[in-house]
Amino acid sequence: MSKELIRLENISKSFDGELILDDLNLTIHENEFVTLLGPSGCGKTTTLRIIGGFETPDKGRVIFDGQDITALAPNKRQLNTVFQKYALFTHMDIAENIAFGLKIKNKPQEYIEDKIHYALKLVNLEGYEHRMPESLSGGQQQRVAIARAIVNEPKVLLLDEPLGALDLKLRQDMQYELIRLKNELGITFIYVTHDQEEALTMSDHIVVMNQGYIQQEGSPEDIYNEPENAFVADFIGDSNIIHATMVRDELVNILDTDFICVDKDFGENKPVDVVIRPEDVELVPRGQGTLPGTVSHVIFKGVHYEMEVQAGGFEWLVHSTRMFDAGTEVDIKVDPFNIQVMNRPESEDEEAMVIDV
Amino acid sequence: MFNSRKTSRLLASPYIAWAMIFIIVPLGMILFYGLTDESGAFTFANIAAIAEPVHLRSLILALILSVISTVICFFLAYPLGMILARNKLSSQGIITTLFILPMWMNFLLRTLAWMTLLENKGVINGVLDFIGLPEINVINTPGAIVLGMVYNFLPFMILPIYNSLSSIDDNVINAARDLGADAVQTFFKVTLPLTVPGIISGITMVFIPALTTFAISTMLGGSKILLIGNIIEQEFTLSYDWNLGAGLSIVLMVFIVINMVVSALSDKKGEDR
Amino acid sequence: MRSRIEKIYMGIILVFMYAPIATLIVLSFNGSKSRARWGGFTFKWYINLFGDDKILNALANTLIIALISTVVATIIGTLTCVGLMGLKRRSRAFIMGITNIPMINADIVTGISLMLLFKVLRFGTGFVTVLLAHVTFNIPYVLLAVMPRMKTINPNVYEAALDLGAEPFYAFRKSVLPDLMPAVLSGALMAFTMSLDDFIITYFTKGSGFDTLSTKIYNEVKRGIQPEIYALSSIIFVVVIVLLVTSSMIKGRQGTGAKKKVSLYKVEKKITSGQAFAIGAVTVFIIMLGLYFGGVFARKSNQLFVYNAGEYIDPKVIDMFEAETGIDVIYDEFETLEIMYAKMVQDDSAYDVICPSDYMIAKMIDNGMLRELDLDAIPNRKYIGEQYLESAKSFDPENKYSVPYCWGTVGILYNKNMVEEPVTSWDILWNKKYAGQILMQDSIRDAFMVAEKRRGYSLNTTDPDELSKAADDLIAQRPLVQAYVIDQARDKMIGGEAALAVIYSGEVIYTQRENPDLAYSVPDEGSNVWIDGWVVTKHARNPEAAMKWIDFLCRPEIALMNFDFITYSSPNTAARELIEDEAIRNSEVAFPSEEVLERCDTYSYLGEDGDALYNDMWKKVKSGG
Repeated sequence: MSKELIRLENISKSFDGELILDDLNLTIHENEFVTLLGPSGCGKTTTLRIIGGFETPDKGRVIFDGQDITALAPNKRQLNTVFQKYALFTHMDIAENIAFGLKIKNKPQEYIEDKIHYALKLVNLEGYEHRMPESLSGGQQQRVAIARAIVNEPKVLLLDEPLGALDLKLRQDMQYELIRLKNELGITFIYVTHDQEEALTMSDHIVVMNQGYIQQEGSPEDIYNEPENAFVADFIGDSNIIHATMVRDELVNILDTDFICVDKDFGENKPVDVVIRPEDVELVPRGQGTLPGTVSHVIFKGVHYEMEVQAGGFEWLVHSTRMFDAGTEVDIKVDPFNIQVMNRPESEDEEAMVIDV
Repeated sequence: MFNSRKTSRLLASPYIAWAMIFIIVPLGMILFYGLTDESGAFTFANIAAIAEPVHLRSLILALILSVISTVICFFLAYPLGMILARNKLSSQGIITTLFILPMWMNFLLRTLAWMTLLENKGVINGVLDFIGLPEINVINTPGAIVLGMVYNFLPFMILPIYNSLSSIDDNVINAARDLGADAVQTFFKVTLPLTVPGIISGITMVFIPALTTFAISTMLGGSKILLIGNIIEQEFTLSYDWNLGAGLSIVLMVFIVINMVVSALSDKKGEDR
Repeated sequence: MRSRIEKIYMGIILVFMYAPIATLIVLSFNGSKSRARWGGFTFKWYINLFGDDKILNALANTLIIALISTVVATIIGTLTCVGLMGLKRRSRAFIMGITNIPMINADIVTGISLMLLFKVLRFGTGFVTVLLAHVTFNIPYVLLAVMPRMKTINPNVYEAALDLGAEPFYAFRKSVLPDLMPAVLSGALMAFTMSLDDFIITYFTKGSGFDTLSTKIYNEVKRGIQPEIYALSSIIFVVVIVLLVTSSMIKGRQGTGAKKKVSLYKVEKKITSGQAFAIGAVTVFIIMLGLYFGGVFARKSNQLFVYNAGEYIDPKVIDMFEAETGIDVIYDEFETLEIMYAKMVQDDSAYDVICPSDYMIAKMIDNGMLRELDLDAIPNRKYIGEQYLESAKSFDPENKYSVPYCWGTVGILYNKNMVEEPVTSWDILWNKKYAGQILMQDSIRDAFMVAEKRRGYSLNTTDPDELSKAADDLIAQRPLVQAYVIDQARDKMIGGEAALAVIYSGEVIYTQRENPDLAYSVPDEGSNVWIDGWVVTKHARNPEAAMKWIDFLCRPEIALMNFDFITYSSPNTAARELIEDEAIRNSEVAFPSEEVLERCDTYSYLGEDGDALYNDMWKKVKSGG
């Protein structure tokens, strides 16, 4: 793993008496594409703004490259931000927008012009120098905002839901664009979004947040395949989350049926939650599986069929390339490696804190 | 609505019709009066009359006082607008209204109240006396007129500036800071240019009534200081020389043209969409 | 730290904004009528206010005009802004230029130009013309408030709504309007405020018998404010504050109902239903109020339009006249004779009966504006002293057009504590010792009279040499003068603001009552003796009632009531006999001796050329040469 770049230490922040971040700790490494993922109000944007210097934490420290920058003004920080809704300067043309940061730093005119040219080429907007921001489409404005940030050669680029206002196709294009940019620039991206697909597509490292706490950190694969709690599981992709009882090590009782699993150390007869991804549920003809059920709905989704199966009093979501007609009686079978067992929290608050504590 | 010229015309047409009947036609009548003498014969004499020392002096004095008042209003209102715009989360509606509320008391009454405050034996001097400070002699001086103008027209500066400040996205300001601009640079390179339309509005709304006022100069200037507004008022109400009054008004209208040019120029940038 | 500085800054500006208002509220509890003296705490102005139909009527008119003109102007203005966005830049600049015209023009020009228009269109002046004028000057305020906001609105929002299948109006209402709303509201607020505040344009478009609060106040600012107006302003102010607080409380309650959502960086500005209800309720209330006082639409048949100087009659007299004759009196006040004359030139049938001064009566006779009196219908004219009718012949040679109402001298009112030497000559007004302590009359004839008499000229001179010498004297005097005032002289002298003032004798009794240090003198060089008389206009619509009015005022007991109220000398000798207070009946001020009157002359009408000469000279004096 590469060198540590930013460390948030015990950050707390509240607005109007409402706690937004509670004792948050986070480390970000050089040249990483880190995504802060969570529903609105989870504290991800506040975290970003604390890194950017637009908010001061009530408690805790922000360490950047070994230096404490908690109290440093935004204009003194070696990072730049791409804002939600672009925040372009509407009274300046595109070139002036991009040159803004460089002019502030008194760079020579020639250097600035080179940089504008380079940045516009990078974001595929050559020839737009003298257009006004409002004459551009949303996607183009977004790219100008990125160009405006990167010409300053920041060590870190902060992106606050930059694709939120774009349509689906454009968003997908921009996702690849951003990955390309990150690779070309070789700097750290910290990206905030509530879109799990975006996060999974682009990130090297995902931080899932809820109610001011970090729920889980890890690579997209880790987060997707091994969610550590029901919130993460539910938030990342579709999943079947079922109350269950851990009978003993490597045996879990789901809907009154025993399943073999690989998890240990939960104790005996402990209430737990299990997560099973829809594509990990195997449907087999009656008699060949573990739990009997009936197919109730079938939808064709292109790469696979999406089916709902009533089994053991639970409506299972199943993704499979093999189709069973509605009404077919089937058995459910799950590979032990695909059963993810998690502690079950007693309350919502505890649910939020469970990982952090 | 934004793109269809036909709908746009339709929407703007009631006002255009209204403006024709109630602004342009009456203006034509003023022009008619201003360019004729009592017998109805064409003349430039009424307009040339601005060059008479009495008229010219009052025009120049009015210009000086109204420019000073406008500048003071601007420097008072801009910081206030920023404070109001920044405190969006608090009950800003009420705070904003607080600055307009005084206008609901008739302006003649408020100006009269200033007389009571400023007079040599008035409230302010009473207070100054009481705490042992020297008295001030403001009433019946140009200073008192400027004070009256600033007082009466300040809300006209506050409102448009506040409006344009509060319509700036916080993130635009953050973006400037983010790109390395300190607070001062952010203000001069981003905030100020973005509020130019509001500033122009504010200047228009302060400078013009200040330039043409006669009530304030009469009451706080003790009728000793004649502004161009007083001259025109006297031509209409005292001398019945409507021709001369109209002629001098036409001279004032030169400032409409200047104002139009300034607005058109400042409008140009935002226009390139 | 920073927020403390911000608070202090806001506080200072608020103090600046509210100091005069606090002053007015204090004055509304002042037992003395003079704003220059504290006469103890009283509620009487508030009590009187609710008995004063005229003020309440003016209030209702003001509110209704303001409300309707605001609504109309806001709708037209907002539509225009939306429309302008789709027009070419040039047409937009052109229209915005036109919009600036009513704002840049002196109000008086706008007012007079509209007046000319209504005259050409033969549009009867009154409620409707005032309303049209207010809409005209209100639209620009809406445009200037909404336009900057409009430019920041992304047309895509509206197009998006259209795209979603919305009807154009619905799309506008749902997509653009919410963004525009704060600006529209501030424009409407501005328009409403401007309408409340306007005086001059209203004055020239209102016609007779129709008053708004500000035309009423302007009359009184020159004549001396009725304290009831302070009371009314204080009430308006308190009501607005209460409305504001209530609406914010309603808003607050609604806010706590729903769970607070964290929206830190944006505040949605929308009108809550509570606020909408409050606005609606106020609207209905205002309209009801207007209908109740009925001054707006009601026009009765047997009416008499009276035009008099301010505070120049006991209001009870009007009530008594109405009760006795069943005639409905529409009573208006003018602040100067010149303004009265301008009004009559505009509309020669606006008033039936008027009370101008001597030279103005001559001028009106000269211009054929007056009607011969029907002396048979005015039997009480016999109570007017013969010597006054004789004096009146100087301006009304056969006593055919006027009946004297009040008379008096012009002299110097001085403060005995501040002036040591005896005041016997106009020279004292040129004494450098009293620099800044002198109040001159802000009226051409009275100001020139002082200079002319001082040099021993006739006060009716039209000799250019004499006049320019008089003007030079006045210019030389100007640096010594504290202010040129009309009725403000009264309050300023009572408050000890000045040592010497040129004043009408009728003010003396009242000012001495308020400040016993004041004394009055008619200088030895002589002065002006003036007579105000009632005249009936040539095109009066109700001349019979006008004769009855004049006859009624000539009754000794009525003349006495008026004398007690306004303290101006009455030419009604029978009334003088009825005065109980001997000191006043024999007062040298109220009824000067023959010896004094001998050195005084009346003004005569100087003709148009003479007037023009005086006007020119006066302008020179006022602007310092």
